[in-house]
Amino acid sequence: MELLRPSSVAEIDGGVFVHGGTEVVPLLREGLLEAERLVDVRGIVPRGVRDGVIGAGTTLAELEAEPGIPDALREASRLGASPQLRNMGSLGGNLLQETRCWYWRLGYDCRLHGGDRCHAREGEHREHAIFANGFCASAHPSDVAAALVALGALLRTNRREFPVEELYRLPDEGNRSTTTLEDGELLLEVELPQVQASTYLKAMDRKRWAFPQVGVAAARHADGSTRIALAGVAPIPWRIDGIDALDSVTPLPRTEWKVPLARALVHRALSALG
Amino acid sequence: MARLIRTEKEVEGRFEEVWIVVEEDPLEQWPEGPLAVVGRPAARQDGPLRVRGEARYTADLKLPGMLHAAVLRSPHAHARAQRIDLGPAFELPGVRAAIGPGEAHGLEEEAGFAGAAVAAVAADTFGQARAGVEAIEVEWEELEVVLDPDDAVKRGLLTDPEPRRYERGDIERALAEADVVVEATYRTQTVLHNSLETHQAVCEWQGDVLHVYISTQYIWGIRQAVADTLGLPEDKVRVVCEFMGGGFGSKNSPDEYTYIAAELAKRTGRPVRCALTRREEHTSAGNRNATIQRLRAGARSDGTIVALDGEFTNSVGWSGWNASTEGPMRMLYDCENVRTVTYGAQLNTPPMKAFRAPGFVEGTFGLECLVDEVAARLDVDPLELRRRNYANSNEGTPFSSKNLEDCYRRAEPHWERRHEVRASSDATWKRGVGMASQIWYGGGGPPSYAWVRLGSDGRATVITAMQDIGTGTRTAMAQIAAEELGLPLEHVDVVLGDSARGPYASISAGSSTLPSMGPAVRAAAADAREQVEDIAEQRGLAKGTPVEEIVGVLEESQILGKGARGPNPTGMSVLTFGVHVVEVAVDVETGEIVVERVAAIHDVGRIVNPLGASSQVEGGVIQGIGHTLSEQRLLDPETGRILTTSLDAYRMPTIADVPEIICEFVDRPDEHLTNLGSKGLGEPPIVPIAAAIANAVRDATGADVHELPISREEMLRALEAAKQKEKRGAPAAV
Repeated sequence: MELLRPSSVAEIDGGVFVHGGTEVVPLLREGLLEAERLVDVRGIVPRGVRDGVIGAGTTLAELEAEPGIPDALREASRLGASPQLRNMGSLGGNLLQETRCWYWRLGYDCRLHGGDRCHAREGEHREHAIFANGFCASAHPSDVAAALVALGALLRTNRREFPVEELYRLPDEGNRSTTTLEDGELLLEVELPQVQASTYLKAMDRKRWAFPQVGVAAARHADGSTRIALAGVAPIPWRIDGIDALDSVTPLPRTEWKVPLARALVHRALSALG
Repeated sequence: MARLIRTEKEVEGRFEEVWIVVEEDPLEQWPEGPLAVVGRPAARQDGPLRVRGEARYTADLKLPGMLHAAVLRSPHAHARAQRIDLGPAFELPGVRAAIGPGEAHGLEEEAGFAGAAVAAVAADTFGQARAGVEAIEVEWEELEVVLDPDDAVKRGLLTDPEPRRYERGDIERALAEADVVVEATYRTQTVLHNSLETHQAVCEWQGDVLHVYISTQYIWGIRQAVADTLGLPEDKVRVVCEFMGGGFGSKNSPDEYTYIAAELAKRTGRPVRCALTRREEHTSAGNRNATIQRLRAGARSDGTIVALDGEFTNSVGWSGWNASTEGPMRMLYDCENVRTVTYGAQLNTPPMKAFRAPGFVEGTFGLECLVDEVAARLDVDPLELRRRNYANSNEGTPFSSKNLEDCYRRAEPHWERRHEVRASSDATWKRGVGMASQIWYGGGGPPSYAWVRLGSDGRATVITAMQDIGTGTRTAMAQIAAEELGLPLEHVDVVLGDSARGPYASISAGSSTLPSMGPAVRAAAADAREQVEDIAEQRGLAKGTPVEEIVGVLEESQILGKGARGPNPTGMSVLTFGVHVVEVAVDVETGEIVVERVAAIHDVGRIVNPLGASSQVEGGVIQGIGHTLSEQRLLDPETGRILTTSLDAYRMPTIADVPEIICEFVDRPDEHLTNLGSKGLGEPPIVPIAAAIANAVRDATGADVHELPISREEMLRALEAAKQKEKRGAPAAV
């Protein structure tokens, strides 16, 4: 395997991007990701926060201490992972992390891996999805992604600019990917609109260093509208219009417990916005 | 003088009749209370070495020319390897040897669980060995997989030919005549030891001597087992364990990795390391087995418990033993009518191994929750109910010492806080207090030996081939020797960890290290002191002159004192006791449980090092909180493969989950137990914590929690059930 360290975006010529390495390195080690060429993008992805624009190379540790960003993003950064991981992990990498579904992580021939069944649906699925889980019951693990969806962030890559929601897609028979990113496309910046208030609440199996059972991000926007997005409840960050959306969930037998939990957290998040 | 006795030997609650050579223990016990060194807090002597990274663990060992082994493990929960071709492994770079079923103890054709060892490869690097393992071709014949313990019991798939039955009194009559009968089923989950240092050994042959460097709780057990299995005389096996990163009961035996390393070392003429990866640690290194406990208690309205009836099923796994989950029900209370039956279900799951008070942790959860439900039904204070059923003997056998009543008395101020704790509840956060009692073994026993070397410089060295499992054993042994010799603690060193350097020492399991080894060390120090006093007397120095002032007479000479652990008191039960009082807060909307405060009060005889003792209690409480709230090993219900194979999927508590922990000790020597009067403390603090937390949760919310872990899933289920029950008009529990 070769490791490249390009000095400009223009130099990129294929390969697997790696920034903090907290996700890519374990995936390589477990054989879940194969790379002939590893491209260290730390030298070319912007880092830091300026005028509502966040470099995708900014670490979660930097974001959790950043006063100039909305509360939802700061809280989502603070409540993610452990201090060691937040020191290494970047915002861009966090948005692109893979599911924690144990069947996927253990290399089962599941739908996300191109197979023809979702092992979690009939198997052990206490951590899995309550929305959009018919094809694949995995749960999206990113706290930060839910926060950015609620905040209505825009993403800029080396090729295009689009709302963060459009980064994600539900996997289906024809395309098993959970993102819309093309080969060679690299996240560079995140642009945040001004919001009046925002919050992120997270339920975990322990107080720290756990992926969300349910994470709830909510933001009150300048036009008075409220956007809500959930982590840990669907194969991708899941936007809901309001608390009533929890009346039309499709939980599996052992994910039913997530419904009252989500309801309580959404209620709290909305109360917190005032 | 030494004599041969027939005695019952107990390790981890398992008994066997053995002949043991014991030596008398003529020393009087020291007076109660803190002495010059013993009974005073001492920082770990090896602390600086550990934090500087200079302590050498098995994982740190790099021998010249050392090869690395990787193990091929069954992906199937039950299968037979019909054909194995090791050939492709040899084609790969760096591969030096490969072995298959039957070529090392523990490599077998029939795999009874996913993760069972089948073959192994040695290569220059671990990566090359892993590649070699992946290249091995196996044709599997898949066999029937049994995962459900009730199903296994029904079909007679048991680890022992018969379930273990116990009965005293007339249980059916007692239940019929009781004023109240409470019946409940409790379930506990499978949890993993997850030692910081994974299971591993480095083996090297020097001539006909096999050197085994291993992370182990039992140097002498490894020596004997390896010698027996390989057909070697025991003196041709040297076992070394200077430092180890935890065991918790899972490192008592050599297991497949040691035999794999030994065989591959023999074939290659090189030292070989076989170390489990963290993933293998989750699949193949043992576990605390799951249990199902179907319990009934009958009581009179005055609070007398008249009947205890329990059917226990241990999900033992493919192999292992049927731990005494019924033990607390038999022993904790003075109850005339007790009946238990304990099934060991043989399943296609990884074998259990002893895990910090095996059986008693699980059984205490069931029993102490049941007792609280009896208290609620009778409207008797739970502490008062426990006092009313206090046992003054162990089924007729007197206790060597029991100060549980003193633990209860010390618990009162903590228990009294429940009124203000409950009053601090609000609409979302409900607060409550719970308690549970603890009973467990921990008396240790012979044989165990130590030597003490004393020179004219007033420095002493304790020499014994024991291991320090990580509990601070070195420091406690140094304290005992320093006390007996009248030397400052920093003038005493402890040399341990090598079967070639020093005498036989006991296992570090079953809370037995201190009560087994401490008296031997004290006897050796006393022997050394008496010898130097005799010599000094010949020079006209009066007996009783401090050792430091008389050792000068030795000049170039040295004294070697020898000591042995004396026998346990005959006709007595040596047990440890305690009580935990726990305060919790429960978010009734999200099911979050926060343990806010734990008061842990234990009676384990004399406390040698109060600092080390409180560390033990804190560690036990934290490990128990993980067991109670967040840890669970999960299996794929279809294939029996383990799903939680990493530390992010298997959730142990983090420092943020740790509550305020208050440790108290009765600290009264057991006058019948050896020259020291100390019992062990490794296991007691993990025994009552789950039940105390569950009882506190019930106190806070009125919800019946009967299952571990009390995850949010379980908590929300129990809260909803309580709500439905209230709607139907029945008052919620408590």
